[in-house]
Amino acid sequence: MHDHGSHKEEEPKGIPRLALIGNPNVGKSVIFGYLTGKYVTVSNYPGTTVEITSARAHVNKKEYVVIDTPGVNSLLPMSEDERVTRDILLNEDIEAIIQGIDTKNLRRGLLITLQLAEIGIPFVIALNLFDEARSRGISVDAEKLSETIGTTAIPTVATLRKGMDQLLKALQNPRVSTFATHYDRRIEDGVVRITPLLPDARISKKSLALMLLAGDESLNNWLHEHLREQIIREIDNIRLEVQSSFSEPLAYVINHSRLMASDRLLKEVFSETGKREKDINSSLGRWSMHPVWGIPFLLAVLYGFYQFVGVFGAGTLVDFLEDSVFKGYVNPWAVKLFDYIPIMILRELFVGQYGIITMAITYAIAIVLPIVGTFFIAFGILEDSGYLPRLAVMVNNIFKAMGLNGKAVLPMVLGLGCDTMATLTARILETRKERIIVTLLLALGVPCSAQMGVVLGMLGGISFTATLVWLGVVVGVMLLVGYLASKVIPGTGSDFILELPPIRLPQLSNIGIKTMARIEWYLREAVPLFILGTLILFISDKLGLLALAEKIAAPLVVGFLGLPIKATEAFIIGFLRRDYGAAGLLVLARAGQLDSIQIVVSIVTITLFVPCIANFFMIIKEQGIKVALYITGFIFPFAFLVGGILNFVLRYYQVAL
Amino acid sequence: MSEHNIDELLELIWTQQEDGKDSLNELLRVTDEENAEDVLKRMAQDGFVVISGDKLTFTPTGEARAKEIIRRHRLAERLFTEAFKMEVDEKIEYNACEFEHILSPEVTESVCTFLGHPPTCPHGRPIPRGKCCEKFHKEMKPLVTPLNELQPGEEGRIVFIAPKNHTRLDRLSTMGIIPGSIVRLHQKRPSFVLEVGETTLALDGEIVKEIYVKRV
Repeated sequence: MHDHGSHKEEEPKGIPRLALIGNPNVGKSVIFGYLTGKYVTVSNYPGTTVEITSARAHVNKKEYVVIDTPGVNSLLPMSEDERVTRDILLNEDIEAIIQGIDTKNLRRGLLITLQLAEIGIPFVIALNLFDEARSRGISVDAEKLSETIGTTAIPTVATLRKGMDQLLKALQNPRVSTFATHYDRRIEDGVVRITPLLPDARISKKSLALMLLAGDESLNNWLHEHLREQIIREIDNIRLEVQSSFSEPLAYVINHSRLMASDRLLKEVFSETGKREKDINSSLGRWSMHPVWGIPFLLAVLYGFYQFVGVFGAGTLVDFLEDSVFKGYVNPWAVKLFDYIPIMILRELFVGQYGIITMAITYAIAIVLPIVGTFFIAFGILEDSGYLPRLAVMVNNIFKAMGLNGKAVLPMVLGLGCDTMATLTARILETRKERIIVTLLLALGVPCSAQMGVVLGMLGGISFTATLVWLGVVVGVMLLVGYLASKVIPGTGSDFILELPPIRLPQLSNIGIKTMARIEWYLREAVPLFILGTLILFISDKLGLLALAEKIAAPLVVGFLGLPIKATEAFIIGFLRRDYGAAGLLVLARAGQLDSIQIVVSIVTITLFVPCIANFFMIIKEQGIKVALYITGFIFPFAFLVGGILNFVLRYYQVAL
Repeated sequence: MSEHNIDELLELIWTQQEDGKDSLNELLRVTDEENAEDVLKRMAQDGFVVISGDKLTFTPTGEARAKEIIRRHRLAERLFTEAFKMEVDEKIEYNACEFEHILSPEVTESVCTFLGHPPTCPHGRPIPRGKCCEKFHKEMKPLVTPLNELQPGEEGRIVFIAPKNHTRLDRLSTMGIIPGSIVRLHQKRPSFVLEVGETTLALDGEIVKEIYVKRV
């Protein structure tokens, strides 16, 4: 998840920089929060802090810019995240690094430690989650580790602030590691030949030479900025020569040497004493992705989600805000206020049928906000608990049929909260093909929480069968479209290699801060659109455009979908906000103007209908105008087609709903 | 006339027998060998085959030798198609013919074990069992198996990884999946989940198949 609350600002030059580096899920962000006093999004899903967070802070009474980098597994970039982190080391003036290590996973942490040692920037190590390691019967000799590596390693439990004082103390005097990894003679020879060709850089020439030997293409730009063409070619020749004496790729050979070296280190400092305690968390982790029990587990999670978001958020909270607060106080007051203003048009603009207060604000605050808010809380809990990657394990095979893999479950679930935000999160997927398919499916069939709240409210009024028909049609259409899209859209999918973090009890404070940041984002992004949408409606109504559009669309809506003419309005405003459109239908249904079949047909159509305007803009921003137009151009007729077919089938077979 | 010709004919007689044929004339009609008649006469003298009229049968010595050749040939085909992912076509036929003459008994057994004692060749014909296969029935399991053939809960030491592309290999290696590492297969469905040290990874079955392990 991106940290939408933080703004990207250039930190001033001249202030020394501290970088936090480590594998994903080692608690870097918690350490960052401790150092800077600001909390950023801590999330369990790999690749979810693509944007970097930095903050100015006083550490040991000295001013620093602290940079929180995306989690990495190696400094030889294999992903966008890893490239970003490596580039920070390469391009920023880093005075010192704090490496966060998940203590029980020391082996993989050491792989990065060895590379940091090579790079030659002073660093200290936080052996974080020390308590979790201990409960698994693991102990690490921090002193011996410090001694061998030649820098300081401190056991910490960042969430409980344990060991943080010592970490700060070690930061007063960070050391450059003296540890050197030994590589195959042929590799070392290559390094010796390349280093004299390299310019001075912020990281050691040896580490650069190794990155180049490994064929790190992401260094290309940097190379061309700093070296002449001829020298670059020379380096490439050396690389090819060295490569020719190995059957495996050099990147792999180098990694292998590093892993061997870290395994030797591990033998000295790492011990597993006795058996691990069988704790409830790891059992939950197993059940949640068990081929059989994983399904009831998922259903239980969904049920809990529904109870909290659907019943509590969309029911209790909405009732309270809408009926008691807005209908009881806000709107009457506003109307009263406008009694003093004798200008009719202004009065209608604010408190009329399409009024900014009576429609837009009521809508945004009383109906959508409670639903979105409870959704974000529930989503944050899922995210921090480590359940989402396990959900990816459950659905990987289904997603494979749609040209995606299990990782796509994150944007899809997030889409149930807000499709616009989810479209942005599609970035975590590796290939363009996957990103386009997910964007398409989000725009097509994933109802956002606000829309879903309204839809479920309407369905609840009919029958369970109606809910099943709606769900079946929407899911079926998504599977079909996903499958076809995977055949039609060029490109490839990506490998499903996903790390599963341990199940952890989410921290309430973290969820609180995350939810606030997301709600702030919602208020900033969505509420203006609500107002804009209402304005467009208001103006269209005044100019008689609404009536005109209704007339044009009438044959389609009335003839093909079998809906009353009034429903056209819902589809028109549905483009501004999908839930807004659904709510228009809800009003019609409450007024008894729709029968059961009409309700099902109309909500299936509005669920599949074009994305809201915010989502549309986000698609343009992320995928380009061409893709956005293609997607909309496909969805618009397609949604009506499905709705029309459904209408025909339900009527022909006289399905009782 | 050489050992090579004799081997080729023994092989042909074996496959003819598999198809239920024992006619000398039929054999002479289908063989590519020059001077096949002369070679067969010599084979009869050396005690590999018995010829009576049109009927051609193995002696026990001849049958044992033919069985070894067939076994080497078909194992070689398996090796090409499974380990090297070659297409089943004339090229592998040709290469298998070369291989059948150079594989020593020890290497043959290693290949057989490596492949997990396959019962048939890629064309579906049976591979004669060897000594190593008998042992297999009693105590031995194949030395190296694709990771996906482990049972959930079993552990294996990675022997080699044969990925489709280098990026995959690099990425696996940064997660600690390299030869020498011990992996535990946690589950196969709905997706493969492995444990390497304290890291838990979910992977596509397709990738898991490319990781070869030795049970520990």
